[in-house]
Amino acid sequence: MTLQKPVDADKAVLMAGFARLDVMALAVAMGTVCAVGLFLVTVTLLIKGAPSGVPIGTHLGLLDIYLPGFSVSWGGSAVGAVYAGIIGALIGTVWAVLWNLTHYLYIILVVIRAHWWGLMGD
Amino acid sequence: MGEDASAPGINEALLHATVKWNTLLFAGICGFSGAMTLLLMTYISLHRGLPHPGHYLNLLGVFLPGYKVSAGGAWIGFLWGGLIGAFSGAVMYRVYALSIRQQVADYLAGEKSTDDLEYVIMKLYGHSLGLAMGAIAALGLLVTTNWLVIRGTADDSFHAGLLSHYLPGYSVSVSGSIFGAVGIFIATYVFCVVLGAIYNGVAALRMTGSKS
Repeated sequence: MTLQKPVDADKAVLMAGFARLDVMALAVAMGTVCAVGLFLVTVTLLIKGAPSGVPIGTHLGLLDIYLPGFSVSWGGSAVGAVYAGIIGALIGTVWAVLWNLTHYLYIILVVIRAHWWGLMGD
Repeated sequence: MGEDASAPGINEALLHATVKWNTLLFAGICGFSGAMTLLLMTYISLHRGLPHPGHYLNLLGVFLPGYKVSAGGAWIGFLWGGLIGAFSGAVMYRVYALSIRQQVADYLAGEKSTDDLEYVIMKLYGHSLGLAMGAIAALGLLVTTNWLVIRGTADDSFHAGLLSHYLPGYSVSVSGSIFGAVGIFIATYVFCVVLGAIYNGVAALRMTGSKS
């Protein structure tokens, strides 16, 4: 049986700070939350309704400028949920990739600097 | 050296430096996201080919001096989006970083070894994330609403008042802003807890799948 080294507290701090984000997991989570969010926002207006003769959600409906096909209706809310899911997944992907990449680049920089100063010291 | 009595073994100086660096990184990422979002929204609004481009997006100029839906105004929006994004990101991470001690305690507890830590995936703590983002959202609503009150345009702020559809008790007034802040804090907190739960679940599933 291989003996495992005990966890070093300093390394635990660095791992807590520099642990990678799971890109796929964050994309799925953000996409789901954004899709459900826009769906709930739209459906809230549909359920609340509006006085007779007044269109429902005229301002929320302006989102169709950015989300073609979206409207404040049951079908439109589904379209909006799909759009929001895709956009949320993209945002999650970009954030996770940027987070991991910047940490990775920083670690490379630290290692290069350590090697450089090691060479200078020799 | 700099050890915390409540979390034995944790080097406070190292923890502080790690949090500081991550705060800068997250502020940069959020700043970049905010800047690009406002820039893209402005250009899409300008070039979508619809009548009265930016009719409502121009209202952001009330809160962001110099911003308007134009080619030049888009870059003012880029700067404002970057500034607000960076500030929000920094505050968010600082609040979220309160959970790092718990993360370190989790790593130190149980049967993890240094080999396990090599490929560790970050776990999202929904409670801390909810507190951080909820605080930012509540602060944002308080500031923007009370800015309208201070300007003397509260009664004319019909569009801001539409938030009352989603935030019970909200109105463009000092008291209404407090009700709204509480409501948006709760909504944001719940979404963050759900986000964290989904993320941690999917990450754990993928980790289990990769090990089998």
